[in-house]
Amino acid sequence: MAYAITEAGRSQIAAELVDQKLQLARDVVAESRSMKDLQYCDLRLEVVESKEAWVENGQPKVGMQGERLCVGIRVIAGNPVAAPAYYGVRLGTAAGLAGALRDGIRQAHERALASAQEKALARRSFGPLGASLYSTRLAPVPLVQERVPPSMRRDPRSVPLAEVFAYLTPISARLAALDGRVLFNLLRAETQLRRQLFCSSEGACIDQTYARTEGICVVVAQSPDGASPLELYDASGHQAGWELMEEGLRRDYVQLPDFETFCLALAQDALGVSAAPPLKPPDGDVVVVTDPHFNALVAHEVVGHPTELDRALKMETAYAGRSWLLKDLQDNQVGKVVASPLLSAFSDPTLDGYGHYLYDDEGTPGRRAYHFESGVFKEFLNSRQTAAVAGVAPNGSYKATEADLVPLIRMSNTAFAAGDSDPAQIVAEVDHGYYVQTHRIPSVAESRENFCISAVKVYEINNGQLGRPYRDGAVAADSRDYFLRVDAVGNDLRLFPIPNCGKGQPMQAKRMSNGGPTLRSVARLVGTRQG
Amino acid sequence: MKTIQTLKSVAREGLAWLHAQPDMREAEVFVAANDQLLTRLNYTSEIPCNGVEEPKSTASFGLGLRIAWNNGEGIRTGFGSDLGDLSLHGLERAFHRAKLGAVLDPEFVSLPKPNGHQPIAQRLQDHRAMALADRDLVAAGWKTLEGALETFYTSEDLMAQAQGKDQVARLGLIVGGDVILLKERIAVASTHLPEVAGDESTAVLSSATAMVEHREAKGSGWSAVARWRDFDAGAGAEAARNAIRAMGGQRVPDGEYRVVFGPQPVTDLFHNLVIPSLQADSFYSAATPFLGKLGQTIAWEKLSVYDHGALPGLAGSKRITCEGLPTGRTDLVRGGQLVGLLSNYYESRRLLKDPNARQKLGIDPYVRPAALVARNGFRYLEGGGRHFGIPPRIAATNLFIEADEAAVSHQDLLRRVGDGLYIGRIWYTYPINGLARGDFTCTVVGDSYLIKDGTIQAPLKPNTVRITDNVHHILNSILGIGGKPRPTVVWAADQVVHAPEMAVSGVTVRQIAVGGL
Repeated sequence: MAYAITEAGRSQIAAELVDQKLQLARDVVAESRSMKDLQYCDLRLEVVESKEAWVENGQPKVGMQGERLCVGIRVIAGNPVAAPAYYGVRLGTAAGLAGALRDGIRQAHERALASAQEKALARRSFGPLGASLYSTRLAPVPLVQERVPPSMRRDPRSVPLAEVFAYLTPISARLAALDGRVLFNLLRAETQLRRQLFCSSEGACIDQTYARTEGICVVVAQSPDGASPLELYDASGHQAGWELMEEGLRRDYVQLPDFETFCLALAQDALGVSAAPPLKPPDGDVVVVTDPHFNALVAHEVVGHPTELDRALKMETAYAGRSWLLKDLQDNQVGKVVASPLLSAFSDPTLDGYGHYLYDDEGTPGRRAYHFESGVFKEFLNSRQTAAVAGVAPNGSYKATEADLVPLIRMSNTAFAAGDSDPAQIVAEVDHGYYVQTHRIPSVAESRENFCISAVKVYEINNGQLGRPYRDGAVAADSRDYFLRVDAVGNDLRLFPIPNCGKGQPMQAKRMSNGGPTLRSVARLVGTRQG
Repeated sequence: MKTIQTLKSVAREGLAWLHAQPDMREAEVFVAANDQLLTRLNYTSEIPCNGVEEPKSTASFGLGLRIAWNNGEGIRTGFGSDLGDLSLHGLERAFHRAKLGAVLDPEFVSLPKPNGHQPIAQRLQDHRAMALADRDLVAAGWKTLEGALETFYTSEDLMAQAQGKDQVARLGLIVGGDVILLKERIAVASTHLPEVAGDESTAVLSSATAMVEHREAKGSGWSAVARWRDFDAGAGAEAARNAIRAMGGQRVPDGEYRVVFGPQPVTDLFHNLVIPSLQADSFYSAATPFLGKLGQTIAWEKLSVYDHGALPGLAGSKRITCEGLPTGRTDLVRGGQLVGLLSNYYESRRLLKDPNARQKLGIDPYVRPAALVARNGFRYLEGGGRHFGIPPRIAATNLFIEADEAAVSHQDLLRRVGDGLYIGRIWYTYPINGLARGDFTCTVVGDSYLIKDGTIQAPLKPNTVRITDNVHHILNSILGIGGKPRPTVVWAADQVVHAPEMAVSGVTVRQIAVGGL
């Protein structure tokens, strides 16, 4: 029996709230211009309407739905030295929103002034070490006023939780019944509508709405000898409505099957791979042909992350690490050869991928940034603050996962560009080597100068023919060597959803797309150390 | 921030309202308020910077309901939450959502029932930390940074390297890190709890990383305390001292080494590999390297590992779980034998009901019920806050790693190693072939040294070696455990590991970045 909620109990939080509060947001940001020594203020106001369900082994477990109103404020203030500060809050009601916004700006302003005073003092106290403590400034961007509607066919808000369970439960039951060796499966689906308003004291006002739907599948399968269970995990997801789960998506570089097909393929893989012998890696370097799914994680870890300018400028030294592409503003790889002339890589938020957006969280229009262009390093991902430090134009890469959190420089849709080789021919040309299929888990060095990424399957190649698959194999290499030794690039570019890129403190798990075509290079293989 | 009295009152009245609803079997009301104040450090001597980059805060409060209804087909369970409204309207919305998401779950037994233990009497919150002003946190960030700058600025070693005080900045000095203040308040009322349970706690966490980048030297400093008065802002100075000490690092060849792991690597290994492998849900899903090993030897015969959430004054302590049950000590490994698991009420009950439990655990769970006591049901969200918007999961609190032998000093550990490596900081430590396989890899990023004849000989150059090994091998190749644990928190972790130094033999190390950058 459904509970009939009273009229007074109904939530006030819905995407339409942004229409009602748009003028308020503009007004409070405009008012901030009169605050003492305030240089800049921006406000992000976001409504998220979300549904989520978990099913295990054919049994529904937990369904959750809700709405939230997230507010994030940035203030840069101080004179003669300015400093930034932030304020974030999650609200369940729009009652008293005007007071909450003004109070948030006041608190961020006080923090910024306090930090600016301390900065000015430190500049005087530490001689030459104080000289780099600068007065915060932002690179200029066009002041945009725009509304961006969502692209979806089935609005997430129209999907009852019962329907989400009804869709997931038989799929999970089917996985459980596939084979006695499937020990466990978990399916999770989430569908959301997100609408975010951005207003700045410079006059920008951008209202963007996106739908987001995601499915995650975990399968644990036992090996036939009962000794070595194998757990596999993968995600489907896109900026789309619920139709993504039922129909999948086939558009340009994105080829996502419906979620049932996706889960069954993963379970079949788990059964097959758990029965495969562990890879016994040869000593020394070998030829490796890596498939687009594997290269998605290479692009993510070894191209995307080190091209984030906050890392390159050492701002992430204590957390996400630095970048092998920049020692300092004078000594860096910009304009230098870092990869084979066959290799190009880019980030592009305007592409229709899981990391799509038109404007980032400081109102900068997103655009394609080439990181590698025919082997030459070209451009970092940046924010207005880091762009000003580096003396370059902002490229719209400053994103937070929720409006109450501080934006960070993030990937959007980051991938190796397509080449012109036939993937089958790339394998056929190999006398002896290994074909590495489907990424699993990464471990990268601190400045991304070295990586080790495991694969679901590794096949030995002999005389251009694939042999049997092996499990528990990984590819390890020094990044620049690996890129320089790429000698074939396929014409089969694909983008894959990455649902869990962690960065920041507190940690923010961002969604994005990564991808690439089939690549051939040289690397070392790593196997298992289990006896 | 909402007071504990308000949260308790909402929980009590909410439960009464729920009990009046039709078909109600059991109900639980969880009410929480979380504030997090955080300031990030970012100093670079050669690149324009803010010093303190992100003085910021996040805050939220709300309620979460777990409900079981009687239904003709069985028991239906549901979870619903509401953000930012503790009135009857918020409760009503959460109830409505729980109804909409309700499912028939045959593995559900009941909502948590008391186990006869009582929570510790002491309060864990620090009133001073609870009342801290914005300006205090900004000042704490600057004080931590200035400790590092002062250390760099007055270092004779750096002056000698730079050939003059005015040139020290040209060595590429970096300081990063943060100071975090967590303020958490919860109240839990349930059909099965005799009264509304409340808990307040605070934690002050600080970490700093310093580099002398042009000498490829990196050092770390950190602290994790429960009270503001125990916070000394010393992490920055410690990191800078360690960075200076690490100048002149050397490479080492590929090989199997005897290694002393410092507190950070021990924490990283346990956080990423051991703790998730010792959770009841990992056994249920067969995704643990210790599947079927309860009651069996899984590690060095002198190793003991336990979790203890009820020790006053520690940064990971809580009086009650997010299920309203008392925290306490859970022995996980004793004398090298697996003796217990971290669990919440749901996972414990469903393992007891699982027809395959004997296979998954290795013994009949009813033979050893103490192995599955639900002391670790928490609603943490990636390193900050007890969140009303999610059902309880499993998390450690304060994790202790000890040896059943007389305390071993740092020097004793080095002597046991003889010739080998001291590894003080590792990075990206992940189970490369899945948790069940136990394989892992990571790189060594700082605070590390070569050991020769039982003494520290020279720094190990950061980012020049990768460790690739297996958790079974590490746990069974321990040579000794130090006697001075240090509370350590790694990024996005929920628990505090009171991490000792740990000596291990036969660790596989391989050179990386051989061509340099």
